[in-house]
Order: sequence, then C-alpha cells, then structure tokens
Amino acid sequence: MSENTSKTPMLEVRQLSISFGGLKAVDGLNMTIGKGQLYGLIGPNGAGKTTVFNMLTGVYKPTSGSIILDGENITGKPPAQINCCGVARTFQNIRLFSNMSVLDNVKVGLHNRMKYSVIEGALRLPRYFKAEREMNSRAEELLKVFGLEGEKEQLASNLPYGKQRKLEIARALATDPKLLLLDEPAAGMNPNETASLMDTIRFVRDNFDMTILLIEHDMKLVSGICEEITVLNFGQELAQGVTSEVLQNPAVVTAYLGE
Amino acid sequence: MMSFITYLVNGISLGSIYALIALGYTMVYGIAKMLNFAHGDIIMVGGFTIFTAMSTAWCPVWLSVIIGIIVCTVLGVLVEKVAYKPLRNAPPLAVLITAIGVSYLLQNVALLIFGSAAQSFTSIVKNVAPVTIGGVTVSMETVISIIVSVVIMICLTFFINKTKAGKAMLAVAEDKGAAELMGINVNSTISLTFAIGSALAAVASALLCSSYPQISPYTGSMPGIKAFVAAVFGGIGSIPGAMIGGILLGIIENLSKAYISSQLSDAIVFLVLIVVLIVKPTGIMGKKINEKV
Amino acid sequence: MRKTTKNNLITCGLVLVFFIVCGILSSAGIMGSKLSGLLIPIGIYTIMSISLNLTVGVLGELSLGHAGFMCVGAYVGGVFSILAQDTITVPWIRIIIAIVLGAIAAAVFGLIIGIPALRLRGDYLAIVTLGFGEIIKSLANNIYIVKDVNGIHFSFAAPATGTDAATAQDIFKGAQGIKAPQDTTLLLVVIVLMISLIIIMNIVDSNTGRACMAIRDNYIAAESMGINVTKFRLIAFVISAAIAGAAGVLYSHSLAVLAPKKFDYNFSILILVFVVLGGLGSMRGSVIATIILYALPELFRGLGDYRMLIYAIVLIFMMIFNNAPYFVALRQRIAALPIFEKFRTKKPKTAGGESK
Repeated sequence: MSENTSKTPMLEVRQLSISFGGLKAVDGLNMTIGKGQLYGLIGPNGAGKTTVFNMLTGVYKPTSGSIILDGENITGKPPAQINCCGVARTFQNIRLFSNMSVLDNVKVGLHNRMKYSVIEGALRLPRYFKAEREMNSRAEELLKVFGLEGEKEQLASNLPYGKQRKLEIARALATDPKLLLLDEPAAGMNPNETASLMDTIRFVRDNFDMTILLIEHDMKLVSGICEEITVLNFGQELAQGVTSEVLQNPAVVTAYLGE
Repeated sequence: MMSFITYLVNGISLGSIYALIALGYTMVYGIAKMLNFAHGDIIMVGGFTIFTAMSTAWCPVWLSVIIGIIVCTVLGVLVEKVAYKPLRNAPPLAVLITAIGVSYLLQNVALLIFGSAAQSFTSIVKNVAPVTIGGVTVSMETVISIIVSVVIMICLTFFINKTKAGKAMLAVAEDKGAAELMGINVNSTISLTFAIGSALAAVASALLCSSYPQISPYTGSMPGIKAFVAAVFGGIGSIPGAMIGGILLGIIENLSKAYISSQLSDAIVFLVLIVVLIVKPTGIMGKKINEKV
Repeated sequence: MRKTTKNNLITCGLVLVFFIVCGILSSAGIMGSKLSGLLIPIGIYTIMSISLNLTVGVLGELSLGHAGFMCVGAYVGGVFSILAQDTITVPWIRIIIAIVLGAIAAAVFGLIIGIPALRLRGDYLAIVTLGFGEIIKSLANNIYIVKDVNGIHFSFAAPATGTDAATAQDIFKGAQGIKAPQDTTLLLVVIVLMISLIIIMNIVDSNTGRACMAIRDNYIAAESMGINVTKFRLIAFVISAAIAGAAGVLYSHSLAVLAPKKFDYNFSILILVFVVLGGLGSMRGSVIATIILYALPELFRGLGDYRMLIYAIVLIFMMIFNNAPYFVALRQRIAALPIFEKFRTKKPKTAGGESK
C-alpha cells in the first residue's frame, strides 16, 4: 500500500457501501483521487466497479458512506445535481442520444453552461442567439479535439463504434466537469484504436486540467496511463496504490487468473 | 344492507366480465408487448355473431355461443397474422396505431352490416327467474357471469402453470429470444395467446350482452377500455393481476353508480386507476423493473 | 442559413401558401362551400397535431388524453365569451381574450395532471393520460351554468335553475354543452396556427427541445448531463396542453353547439394517428398528414359508409408498409439501385423516431 499524502484530493470516497437485498455489492470502499490524477478502478467481472460509478453519479443511493468531491459532500444527490457539482461520465454500454445530430449531442452537454429561459428560446430573444453562438463554437471546439468535426451533422447512431465512444467523452467534457468517469472506454476497440484512445485520454487530462477515474479491463491501457489504481473483488478493495506495484501483488494476480 | 350486498354482487358479476376481457389484454401485452386496442371490438364481433346465430339462424343458445367463440378465435389469430406479425420488431407506436386501424376496421364492417342503431340482444338465459339467496335477489345473468368467469379463470390458471403450452407462453413473455433458443415455437405460442384472448372475449360478449341486452358496432369500445384499465390496474402482463383488477373495477363502478353518481361512475373508475398507478406505478400485481445502467 | 432554420421556414411557408391559396379560391367562389367549410377545422386540427407532436414526437411520451386539454380550453373560452357577449361587443377582442384564458386554463390542467402523471413512463403514462381525458369529459358532462338577472348560478351533477325563470339563460347545459358565439374566422385560425407552429419549432430548436429529445433518446444519459428530467418533461407537457387549449377555444367558437362527448378518447386517438403518420418529431409531417387525412374522408363522402372502412384499411396498410422490417429492407434495396444514384445527395436525416 502506498499512501501519497501530498496530493490535494479531488474525490474522497469513505466507507462507501451499497446492498441490493441481502447482497453487498460494494462494501466499505475507500479511495482518494488527487487533483489532475489519472486513476484506474479495475477488478474481475461483477466486482462492483460500475456500481461504484453509479453511486458516484447518483444513479444509486449508497447504503452508507460518503462521497466528497472537491470538499463538497455529494453523497446521495440526484444525478442531474451531481453533474452540476462537477462529475461527468461515459457509459459501459454506449448511451448517446441516437436520434440527434453529433453536434446536438455535445450541445446537450452544454445545457447548464450557457443558459437561457424557455421563453427566450421560444421567442428568439437576443440571449438565445448569443448563447447558441457560444454553444456552437464551444461544441465545435470539443468535436475537433476528438476528430469528429467532419461528422457534426450526422445522427449519432450513424457513427462507427469507436467514434461513438469518443463522442460520449466529448459530450461528458461539455458539461465542464472537475472529475471525468470513463466506464470501459476501450471496450470493443482494436489495439490501434486503444493506443489512440490512450493519447486522447492523456490529452484531455493535460489540456482540460481534468481528474480522470476510469474502469478498464485492458491492462495495457491501465498500466500505460493510470498512475494509481484500486482493485475491487467481490465489492471489496483488494489492493490500492501505484499501478505497477499493485499489478504485481500476488492477491491481484490470483483474483484475475484464479488459483 | 341488503341493497349494498346486491350492488356488491352485481359489481362482482360485472367485474368478472371485465376480468375475462382484461385477461385478453394482459396476455397479449405480456407476450407481444403491445396494447391491443382492437380487443374491445373482438367483443363486439362476438356479440354480433351470437346475436345473428340466435335471431337469424335460430341456433340454440349453446351452439350460438360456441359459434361466437370459434369466430372470435379465428378472427383474433387472423388479425395477429395479417396486421401485427409483420410489425413484430417495429416501434411500439406503429403497432399501436395498427391496432387502432384494426379497431376502426372491425367497427366499420359491423356498421356496414348491422347499421349504427343498437339492437336488442336476447339474453342467453332468458325467462329464468332471478335467484334469491338469504334475502338478496340477483338475476340469473349475474349468477351465470360469476360462475362462468370463475370456472374459466381456474382453468386458465391451471393451463398456464401446469401445461407445456402454458409454460411456453410464460417463457415467450419473459424473453422471446431465449424461448426460441430453447426450442419453443414463438409464432405458434403468440397465435395461441391471441386465440385464447379472443375466445375469452367471445365468452365475455355473451355475458355482457345478456346483462346489458343491447348490441351496436360501438358496444365493445367502453368495456374494452375499462378492461384495459383493469389490466393496467392489476399490473399489465400479470394474469392474477387482470383478474383482481377486473373484479375490483366492477365493484368500484357499481358501488359508485349506486352511492355517488351514475354519470360520474366512469370518472371515478379512472380516478381510482390514476391514484393506484401513482401510488404503485406498475399496478397492484406488477413487477418493478429497473433499467440496468 | 442553418439547415434547421431553412426547414422551419419552408414549413411555415407551406402552411401560409396552403391557406392563402385555399382562402382566395374559396372567396372567389371557385372552391365549393363544402370544401371552404373544411378550412377552419383543418387549421384547428393542425394546431392539435403539432402540439401533440411536441409531447409524443419530441418528448417521446405517448399521450392519449390530448382532447381533454382541448376540452378545457373550449369550455373555459366558450363560457367566457357567452358571459362577455354583452360587455365586449367587438368579436375579435373577445375571442383573443378567450384564447388566452383557454390556453392558461389548459396549461393549469396540464400542470395538475402532469405533476403526478409524469412520474410514470411509457404505456402506463399513456393509460393515465387516457384516464384524465375521460375524467375531464365526464366532469364537463355534469357542469350546469345558468345566468339570470340575479347573477350566475353554477351547479354540478344536477341541472342548475336560476332564481328568476323569466331571464334565465342556459350557458352550460351538461351533456348538451355550450352555444358559444361564432367568433372564429379563418384568418384567426391561420394566425393562431402560425404562432403555435413558430413557438413549437423555436422550442424544438432550442435548449428546451434538445433537453426533451435527450430525455426521449436516453433519459439516464440526459440526467447524467445535468438535465432536470422532471422539469423538462413537465415544460413540454404544459406547453403542449396550452396550445391544445387555444385550439379548443377556436373550436368551440366555430361550432353552433359543442357537446362534451365530442372530446372522448377517440378524438385524442385521431390526432395521434395524424402525428404518427406525419412522422414523429416532424412538424411539417404533422401539418401535411393532418390536411390530407382530415380532408380525404370528407372529400370522399360520395363513397358513403365505405369511406371509413377504406380509411381503416389504408391506415393499417400504411403502418405496415412504413414500419415492417420486411418493407423497410425492401425500400432500402430499391433505393440502393444504381438508377436512383443521382437522387442521393446525402444521407437522409430522420427527424424523430422512437428509441426505447
């Protein structure tokens, strides 16, 4: 176990637990992620990783424990509010707004950043045009980062798989989060795509000044970009610390490969 | 007190007819995930068939009812094959509008054949004296409705839970793809569901038209909608739910007619439904399904 | 110019051209009085279908009680006009106030119904809206209002009797409904239609519309984007109700007598058919479908009793042809043939569609 005490925490998770009926899906998880860190959450299938994400984003209410984001307690708040506090996510099974254009998908992410009222929108008052102009230029900027500017008028569902994953990240970034949660960003990608995704994730961290927590099964990606990781097994923390050290921990190897 | 019991018994009788119709809605919804808006009109077709068989062809009552059941069963299966089957993987709204189209179609065919005026329907138990039990007098129609419905519901429960075909229906309702992989013939199971639902509608039509001795091309709409409400009330897709929902709805309707206002009874029925759904969003017996994130 | 703006302008242009041409034809006497008489109801039904499209197509929630909101507007506006007949003698001022009142009343009902009902989704929401529509109709069936020298007498479920039989005037007579002054003109209908169309299209092409479509496509993702799902569902529902209320006012002022039984669930379903056949989320589709589907059965009155039968068959056939996987694949194969190459400029963008 390595304890990096110098970091200022962006996310502090204390004794986080949830049970469904009698089943303890996540049990007493502790995790501290420093500002600007790239942090990995790994574990075998069914370990409770996505459940942790669902609690961090308010989809599930934790049974006990607390989640502190940048000094603010966000435990048990509804998803929309948690997003406004600064947590954005992508989904394991892609959840784009499939019947909307690529540009509009990102503009939905900008919803709370450049606001105008229903009436200003319906009657096309000056604020509408100002906000829409800002939204368009910001959305196009984001699409450029992910190389999607050429497809902005297309329906999201018409994008190839890899680009859909990228669009999800772009959409999440549009909400201007402090913490970005990526749920298996490399799932279903070939090695080349994964390599380019790793570059994109690093680029996002450096240029958007972002703290990133990701779930991933691709160990090359995890060891390549994550500075620290937590390993979950049966809802409990198995190991935690600097990536290279944790991955050599015999308990972790056993959990992944079996006895 | 006696009058209360009479209203209650009549309510149970009406409710058990609703339950028979609601079973058709709920089984079809469970298996095809569609709101079969044309189900109410199957009742109307059943009513007219029995009416024609009895008044024009002079068939005896039992034969007329059997003819009604056969006609409705064939019609139900036919409608499924022609109109709903091509749309099995289409958006739900497309299927709903098609069902509405089938409903218009059946109504207008009946309109062309029988005209829009209501015709008087001869009760299937005519000239049978009302029954008096412990000081409460109820008509023979009421008694027959309750007995027939209860027998059918027991048989149906047995069929669904104990026979191979019934279990296949449950499996298809749960997961069409998995059922198919297990060697269940999905198409014939769906046809069977429509057949049973329509046969129940035919029985319901005989009971309904005897209790309210009239028939017109629009006879099916309101009982259809109410049975639909009953199915949702009990938790759509659930067979015991449809039975409970139907009987409760009949009781509520009859009691509010008797004690509150006959003009507002429909409004009260819908109000109760809304309250139930708001308190328990999937109906009395419905399962809560959470979307996996 | 942006593609959406251009499309919206074309839709507005289409509506204007249709009504101006028909208006000129009918005032020049070229179009028969029977056809001319269809223009006002077509306009009103179009307002209904574009407002329902906001709920069903844009928000993605099935509502089977849209006629209920029209009913509220029709009677609130109608009763106001009857009462104000002597004080406000200029018809157009009177009906404008009536439209505003009717829209507000329908919006209030939309809010009262929406708050509990919108906790539900899908088929359950559909059945609850159907129930509310039927309740509104039943309530209207039991309202009695009588006016005499001593004032206005209101009674529920029992016929109202004024205190002075000589001057008593029925305003609302239960199941027989009301007789509102005939203030609706074609010009007014077109103005209200254009305003509604522009408001709805502006909303769809704004952050509110995007929020609604995001909720329709994936409400879990919409929530995670910081969108208050309940708030936006309610906003769309209430706006849709208010516009239906305005249409109701125009409707009650265009008929000699209007009885509550007109507003049953069949009416809501009729409007839903227009919306679905026009294309979910497409306002232009709703406009075109309403005009064609409303006018056709009326034009074929000559076919007598067969016309509704044909209508039903056409409806079933169109739904199967448009949506059955077999026909969809067939159409795609035909469109992929080389002879159609020159017609394919870019990938067609579908405006709406169900995704569950």
